[in-house]
Amino acid sequence: MRTEPTRIVVVTAGVSNPSSTRVLADELAAATRRRLDAAGVAVAVEVIELRELAHALVDNLLTGFPNAPLKRAIEQVTGADGLIAVTPICTASYSALFKAFFDVLDAGAIVGLPVLIGATGGTERHSLALDHALRPLLSYLRALVVPTGVYAASTDFGARGGDTAGLARRIDRAAEEFATLVRNLPRTPVTDPYQDVVSFAELLPGRAG
Amino acid sequence: MQFGIFSVGDVTPDPTTGREPTEHERIKAMVTIARKAEEVGLDVFATGEHHNPPFVPSSPTTMLGYIAARTERLILSTSTTLITTNDPVKIAEDFAMLQHLADGRVDLMMGRGNTGPVYPWFGQDIRQGIPLAVENYALLHRLWREDVVDWQGRFRTPLQGFTSTPRPLDGVPPFVWHGSIRSPEIAEQAAYYGDGFFANHIFWPTDHFRRLIDLYRRRYEHYGHGTAEQAIVGLGGQVFIRPNSQDAVREFRPYFDNAPVYGHGPSLEDFMAQTPLTVGSPQQVIDRTLTFREHFGDYQRQLFLTDHAGLPLKTVLEQLDLLGEQVIPVLRSEFAARRAAEVPAAPTHASLRAAKEAAMAVDPNELTDDTGELVTS
Repeated sequence: MRTEPTRIVVVTAGVSNPSSTRVLADELAAATRRRLDAAGVAVAVEVIELRELAHALVDNLLTGFPNAPLKRAIEQVTGADGLIAVTPICTASYSALFKAFFDVLDAGAIVGLPVLIGATGGTERHSLALDHALRPLLSYLRALVVPTGVYAASTDFGARGGDTAGLARRIDRAAEEFATLVRNLPRTPVTDPYQDVVSFAELLPGRAG
Repeated sequence: MQFGIFSVGDVTPDPTTGREPTEHERIKAMVTIARKAEEVGLDVFATGEHHNPPFVPSSPTTMLGYIAARTERLILSTSTTLITTNDPVKIAEDFAMLQHLADGRVDLMMGRGNTGPVYPWFGQDIRQGIPLAVENYALLHRLWREDVVDWQGRFRTPLQGFTSTPRPLDGVPPFVWHGSIRSPEIAEQAAYYGDGFFANHIFWPTDHFRRLIDLYRRRYEHYGHGTAEQAIVGLGGQVFIRPNSQDAVREFRPYFDNAPVYGHGPSLEDFMAQTPLTVGSPQQVIDRTLTFREHFGDYQRQLFLTDHAGLPLKTVLEQLDLLGEQVIPVLRSEFAARRAAEVPAAPTHASLRAAKEAAMAVDPNELTDDTGELVTS
């Protein structure tokens, strides 16, 4: 029996307030929570607004280390059981703010982490950016991205001629896949290179002893 | 405890005037700064090693040899010597020669170098940085301790019956520090050999370096060199001092804002909070530096960065005056008063020679492999 709730961390790169990216992120989180609740899994959802870390992210790119709030955010993500990552599509790809966050993660930080990807844009013509941009980024980091990514354009949110039911269905399908993966893939703890020492005998075989 | 300065050796335009020193001026300025360090009572001068503009110190032992001839007491060191791209044979020769010329006032700090393009210029690959550092140092360590070396490894042509000359002064190899910003492997390497570990400290937050130094201390004890508290730790620091702290901040800000490495990033205030950078009065520098001991335990060497980012020579010399007159004397007595009795001082040539002679007096046979010369003298 696990005693701690399953931790779902939401990373959202929307910059306006209210932000449609945040709205999509919240809906994905809520749908995930419903699935896990139904399965009897206790859930804690934590939301990281990258806008609040914008300066810290650029500073980290320049100095090589995160300030305290950014360090906390990184630890939230690397310690999560599942990640919901949502970005506005800017100039045919994820926003620079979104990418900056993944640029400052260590290469092995989210290996094996279940991830649900989502994106927003003014028009549905950018929807493949999910599969052409977000999915390869997370595959490189060896995260486990669920098959359904959710793209929401203005029409999905109820603009004239839009179809909100279609978005709701995609959210449900993605949340089902994500919740199933999270439930069945308990994460292995991240190793700490300053605690779990690679001994000198391994560094220079045949020499130490 | 030893106090000193370490220089990156950058040629950077003064952001307040736009004036950029020539390489010649910068090289001569480094020598002037080193001599001033001795004059104001510091113990150590260390130079970086770089092989690309805008840096001048590509040839550290040439510079340190010259400084050795112009000083009496100062310990000459490096920050760092590139153990990855230099041939360990040449390091062994160069620093043994320097050791003789400087009458033992020499130690050195091993570093990997983090400038990717430099590696291929010397036939190496940055992705092999750690294995290079480990193998090359293993060879260097033997070259200074065994008169005749047979050796074969992955990164260098083999050696058969090779003797590195000159042999280390008095048969005592220069003390070695291993410098690192983030690599646990380098802390492990330093611990394995019982060498010193120097945490750059100045670019990253304290909690990070505490983990790195704790690892080194723990493993130093594991390998039987002494207790964790007795491990030999050095730390970097970065200061800009004026009698009045507001003046220090006002004067240093343009240099900080435009500095290599962290310029155009965090604010001066953020960086002071996140790293050991201290811009302020002598008392503020004293107070901050004493906190290092609380974070990392008793340590043996404190080096300050004082001459980068385009600061003019005149300003740097004023900084050294302030350090020497108002900061270091207080730090010496405060650190001495706080230091645990069983914690050793930083090794010097004299202390290492004395230890070797004492060990010989106990069991001379133990040393015959090392230097036959010493055993008979």
